[in-house]
Amino acid sequence: MTSAVSTATQPGRPATSEMVRRLPEYLTIWLPLLVSAAHLVSFSLWTIWISFTPSTLVPVSGWVGLRNYTAVLASRNWQIAFDNLLLFGSAFVLLSLVTGLMLAILLDQRIRGENVLRTIFLYPLAVSFVVTGTVWSWLLNPGIGIQKLVHDLGWTSFRFDWLVDRDMAIWTIVIAAVWQSSGFAMALFLAGLRSVDADIIKAAQIDGAGPIRIYRRVILPTLWPITITVVVVQLQFAISAFDLVRALTNGGPGIATQLPALVVYDLMFQRGQLGRGAAAAVLMLLILLAVLLPYAAWRYVQRRRSNHA
Amino acid sequence: MPITTTRRRLLAGSAAALALPAFARAQSAVKPRLTVISQWSAGSDGAAITALGKKFEEKGGTWQHSPVPGFTTEMMNKLRAQIIAGDPPACSQLKGPEIAAWSKIAPTINLDALVAAAGYEKVVAPDLARLHKPGGKWISLPLQIYSTNMLFLSKRAMDKAKADKIPVTWTDFNELAEKMKAGGVTYPIANGGTRPDDGQKFEASLAGISPAAYRAAIMNLDKKALEGPEIKAAFAQARKISDWMDPNVGAQPYATNLKRFIDGDMGMMIQGGWAQGVLRNAGFKFDDFTITPGPSDNSKPVFLLNADAFIFWQRKEPDLQAGQTLMAQLVMDPAIQTMYSQITGSIPVRTDVDLSGEGWSDGQRRTAAALKDAVANNQAVLSLAHNMAQENGLTAAMIDVITEYVKNKTIKPEEAVTRLAEAVEGAR
Repeated sequence: MTSAVSTATQPGRPATSEMVRRLPEYLTIWLPLLVSAAHLVSFSLWTIWISFTPSTLVPVSGWVGLRNYTAVLASRNWQIAFDNLLLFGSAFVLLSLVTGLMLAILLDQRIRGENVLRTIFLYPLAVSFVVTGTVWSWLLNPGIGIQKLVHDLGWTSFRFDWLVDRDMAIWTIVIAAVWQSSGFAMALFLAGLRSVDADIIKAAQIDGAGPIRIYRRVILPTLWPITITVVVVQLQFAISAFDLVRALTNGGPGIATQLPALVVYDLMFQRGQLGRGAAAAVLMLLILLAVLLPYAAWRYVQRRRSNHA
Repeated sequence: MPITTTRRRLLAGSAAALALPAFARAQSAVKPRLTVISQWSAGSDGAAITALGKKFEEKGGTWQHSPVPGFTTEMMNKLRAQIIAGDPPACSQLKGPEIAAWSKIAPTINLDALVAAAGYEKVVAPDLARLHKPGGKWISLPLQIYSTNMLFLSKRAMDKAKADKIPVTWTDFNELAEKMKAGGVTYPIANGGTRPDDGQKFEASLAGISPAAYRAAIMNLDKKALEGPEIKAAFAQARKISDWMDPNVGAQPYATNLKRFIDGDMGMMIQGGWAQGVLRNAGFKFDDFTITPGPSDNSKPVFLLNADAFIFWQRKEPDLQAGQTLMAQLVMDPAIQTMYSQITGSIPVRTDVDLSGEGWSDGQRRTAAALKDAVANNQAVLSLAHNMAQENGLTAAMIDVITEYVKNKTIKPEEAVTRLAEAVEGAR
């Protein structure tokens, strides 16, 4: 293939021969990228199309306009799921950010056994969400978990029954999710902390700044780009959260901890309402875009600014 | 679809020809083969279908079972994929109104001639028969029956309550629960926290209060009946039941509580007949508990039907067609139904099977007797919680309301009635 291309192009022009030489590289990068992009785009378009059809058990053609959307938006399940998403998304992102940052700062103190500790904090990330959910569902169950342990130790008025409390159950998902992914935030923050120029810190020290002040005024401001990356990654996890909730509460008690991804799965594969499920999936995509588009815009502005500078 | 109809007739005709006069001839002509998918892979369910496959092979067939473990919906996803690919299994598990719904998306075969030859129709409960012949033709065959509203009484909890009378009506039931509570039973009701668990508490309440209202509201979705006083009374009864349950049950299955139930820490369980098999597998003795039909205010047993079934998909291959004929004959055979139910703990679909012999438990005998009575009194109705009364979409919408009501005690019964009616309206 390379030779065929090279005979077709004019020899002598350095740019072309450079392209020919790099053809294998382009192929290895672009081919898989194109295939996966085509998959992503075609399936997304297909889902969007299905969301406008009267499909139930199997996909069918036809046009029902926005009927699937209005049905989903009017359903109690979706409303609860959306409210939960707002609460879960913000609480989870904020808490995992704070926990991750604290862990990173503590680990940044050049302590002994840092490698071991780092591995321990990162380890939850290696556990699948189903396992996390199942383990926490036992820990948080008041009849057998933490509450029972404390009772058995003698403090019998202790109550920690969020898992079975409709109003608090969503927080159990926050706890498990934060446990799982603050290690990820920590790793990114730690890398950021380590990449701060040592000279700047020295300069601040010479100027007489204490460690707290150095963190607040010198180091943390350089972490902004990392913070935003962490927020975006965690948010898109929060929006698409499925396996954790399914294992931990399965949307319960009742339907108190429904999340959009559960609603989509439920509609498509349990209720046999493909059209409505697709509509709910498209709504999820829109929520995701609401997060990703501002991020893309921010990146764009950043890049232009750095180009100008 | 005139072409399909003629093809179906042709097929039915040939099936009957194979079935009726000379089954042996069919066997010599072509070796029957059957492709089956079901969710039954492990435990007593897996053992039962394996035994059925052995019988199929003994009759000279080739048995090709592909189990899809997990929830029924996962089996359905595989079925959906195969149907879309134009390669449905010759036979698959499917139940309730889903049979009618799925039969619209792919052609099925007409089993009328085989059913008539076996004289099967008159030994099947009418409501059950109707589910398996959408459009008036048999396209599927029920395999085994469970009742979802059996009442399990813990022997030790009864001792604590100093009670020996088995409750018949909801009033008896409520009195017994109070007595248990007073006698030191921590939670008079043992329950899991899953959706079907909650659904069963409501359907048992409503069917026990009025089977007629259950039929009108839940099975026929009659708007007036859905807002009727019986629904409100059923929600009120379900609330009483939920007040006696352990609030610490998260999303766990009912089986988590079996030991506490046997120990008398929990008193009663409203569960499907399958719990008997689970209790037995867990090593508990039959003396530790009593099984009786769920409470019924008119004192005659009410039977909430849950039945597993096989549906037969149209195939062109002669060996698969011969396999379908053989399978249909096996499923209707009283000896096969006996074998199957004795393994799983269910009761046979045929109302003429004698359960007095060895291998049947008292619970199964009582369940079968209850079914007979209930059918005679028109009190056998289809279970909502186990997807027998409505298609999955409607069922799920109704269970949403019920499970939220059971878990959230600030919702009043009259609010729940409105929500249920709205959910039905929204899902239709």
